[in-house]
Order: sequence, then structure tokens, then C-alpha cells
Amino acid sequence: MLKVRIIPILTFNGFALVKTKQFINPRMVGNPVQAARVYNSRAVDELAFIDIFATQQNRKINLKIVQDVIKECFMPVAIGGGITSVEDINDLLKIGADKVIIKSASIKDKNFIKTASEFFGAQCITISVDVQKKNDRFEILNIAGKNIAMHDFISEMQEAGAGEIILNAVNNDGMMSGFDIELIKEAEKITKVPMICVGGGGKPDHYIELFQNTNCEAVGSSSIFHFTQFTPLDIKNSLQKINKPVRL
Amino acid sequence: MKTAIIDYGMGNVASVQKALDFLKIKNIITSNHKEIIDADFIILPGVGAFKQGMDNLIAYNLIPVLNEQVLVKEKPFMGFCLGMQLLASSGTEFIHCNGLGWIEGTVKKIIEPQKRIPHLGWNDISVTKQGFLSPVDQKNFYFIHSFHFDVSDKENIAATVNYGKDYVAAIQNKNIFATQFHPEKSQNAGLTLLSSIYKYYA
Repeated sequence: MLKVRIIPILTFNGFALVKTKQFINPRMVGNPVQAARVYNSRAVDELAFIDIFATQQNRKINLKIVQDVIKECFMPVAIGGGITSVEDINDLLKIGADKVIIKSASIKDKNFIKTASEFFGAQCITISVDVQKKNDRFEILNIAGKNIAMHDFISEMQEAGAGEIILNAVNNDGMMSGFDIELIKEAEKITKVPMICVGGGGKPDHYIELFQNTNCEAVGSSSIFHFTQFTPLDIKNSLQKINKPVRL
Repeated sequence: MKTAIIDYGMGNVASVQKALDFLKIKNIITSNHKEIIDADFIILPGVGAFKQGMDNLIAYNLIPVLNEQVLVKEKPFMGFCLGMQLLASSGTEFIHCNGLGWIEGTVKKIIEPQKRIPHLGWNDISVTKQGFLSPVDQKNFYFIHSFHFDVSDKENIAATVNYGKDYVAAIQNKNIFATQFHPEKSQNAGLTLLSSIYKYYA
């Protein structure tokens, strides 16, 4: 049986790991290579490493650091930040990334997603969407400030060849007060590819609530692992108690 | 024992090398014929599309040397993910395309309306034939694929994985062993499998 995935997400600012709250106020939380080493020793299901300032600061992700992070990992790794071309993707896959995470470029140009998916296969193209409730509907947060309905956007991305969606609940980011169940249920109605739900996990009970109320198969988290004593294994042990298939 | 990890521009060679380095197995990433001929073991990794994979094997002029080394000389061979699918007679990803034809069968899209595609994550395999997988305790491996290998001769199937129905997870026929999952990404389970295979041939 396919196991549910618990995925630590490392967000990076170009120098250090940082953690935001509702996408602002980044706080330094450590060194990416050390963190990757710890997660590998804890046999996590997968790891995501994202330079969350690359696009904003108009730079590429530091491949040397990515390489050092990947070197620590004998599990799958997804890498994101500032990806805008087939060459960027190739650079990351060549050094051992299994998936790339694309956000800004997917909003700018959906043809890029189509090209990338045809070239590398849908399985390695993960699209990250930041969702916020606006005008009484779920919309994609974007730098251009366009009004994009989540439904339309996810459908377009799947059509273009996305192999996976990371669903970020912007208002729940870093708050550690539980997941946005309403948003996740809404996104599940249209998502046919695997989806990683992100934003709000603060204690194992939040994950139980998430998995009991949705069809969630993968969850990404950051704050809970930085700021509490809970580990991915603690979450899995809790999920096993409600009969979810986990990899222990 | 030296392993040639075939570089044909289809990704994940670095991950395979990392796993072999960890197990202290001598290896080289190469598309050079002489280095492939000199190697004792051949690994064909790969992620991505079937046709692109075949096109690249042709463009790198690797097919004659692989046929010679694996089919004629019967050198130990492993294929992972796309490296397993390319052994098929043909593939239907995007358009119909011939494969290496070492294992009879066709690569087809996974159609499971109730399931999310790609089949992505850790899943248990069922070993269907005594072989390299038998001694591995942990049978939980990392999969990531939208296409599956429909193998004609069931005798060649070493393991299956259930995702709505049973799909081929591993193939074993004489010197050829190949997996749909990624042993190089499957932590202890994958490393144990690789080390048991190398022990067998040592």
C-alpha cells in the first residue's frame, strides 16, 4: 500500500535556513547541510529544499549548496527557487535532485511548464501554489497581484504537465495552529496529481485532524521540526494509530 | 569489480553514483565504449520520457555496445526506473517507439481513475520470484512513475507493486535485473538490495 508522506521543508534565504510566518518575517533557523544530515539519519520519506528569495532577489539558487544538501540524502529530494529555464532544471537534476519545485515561472508562463514536463517527464515537475482566500474564493498569491482562481490555476498546471502540486496555505504558514482543512478539501476536488499539503502543522494532533478530514496523502512541514521537539517519526506514529499507512 | 553507470543525458546518474560510493563499489559515469567494455557491471539509470531515452541511447551510439555486453557477453546488468522501461520491446509514452527489446513487453500509461498519477511515494512490493529481492527484509521502496512496464512473459517478473492493481516492480532474467522503483533513493532498503546483488556477483 502506498504510504502517506511526511516531508520536511527547508526554506533558505541564500545563506541560511529561515522560517517565515504568513510568508513574512523570516527567522534564521540553521544550516541546510546539517539539517539535511539530521533528516537523512531520521530516514524521512523525502526532503524539500527551497530558496524562497531567489526569484525576488533575481538570482539563481546556489548549486554548490544544493549539491552539499543532496550529498547528505539517500532519500528523494525536491529543489526549488528561481527556476526559469530548461537549463536551470537540468543543472539541478544533474547533481541529483529528483524533482524541481516551480512557483513564479508557472504563473508567468504556463508553456514553460509544458516544455519542462515534455522534456524531463511530469514526474519531476512539482508546482508550488500559494493560496489565500480573497473575494470569497481561493486565489493564488502572486507578485503581479493578478486575481487568479485556485481552481483554474491548478487545472491549467495539470493540463500543462505538472506531476505534483504543493499547496501552501499562506495564512497558516508558520502559525502552528492547524491546517486549512477547507482549502485542502477544495483543492482535492480538482487535483488529480499527488498533492503535498503545507501550512499550519504544530503538533501531531493537527496531522491527525488533517488526515481524518481529507484524503491527504502527503504533508510538508517546517516550523514543527524547527521549533518543537516533535520529529517526522512522532507524526507517523500518531498517524499509524488512526490506521494510515506510514513508513516507519 | 567496476561498474559503468551509463550516462545518456537522462538524469539521476549522480544519485546512483552516490549510492555505489557509499557501498564502496568502484564505479564510473560514462558513455565511452571502452569503459563500458572494461566494466564488470553495467547500470542503466534514468528518469524521464521513453522516447527521449531511446533517442538519447541512439544519439550516444550506446545500443550496439549494450547489446553486445549484456545480451551476448551476459555481463551483470541493472536498470532503474526508465532504465527498466527501456528494456521493453516498445513504449507508448506520447508516441509509439521501439525499446531495447531485451524483455518482451510494452510500456504503457498507468490508468487508475481513483488514484493520483504519477504513482509517487513509498510502496510495498510483493516478491514473486526467488532472486535478489528475497533476502531484503524491508520491502518498501520509492516509486515515481506515470508509465508501467506490461511484461509479456510473467516468468521475467521478480516483484509487483499494488496501486489499484498489480504493476511490475522488478524484473529478473539471467544477468538482467531491473526495478521500477529507485533503489538509490530508497535509503536502507535500497542500499541493502544493491549490496546483496554485488555480494552475489563478487
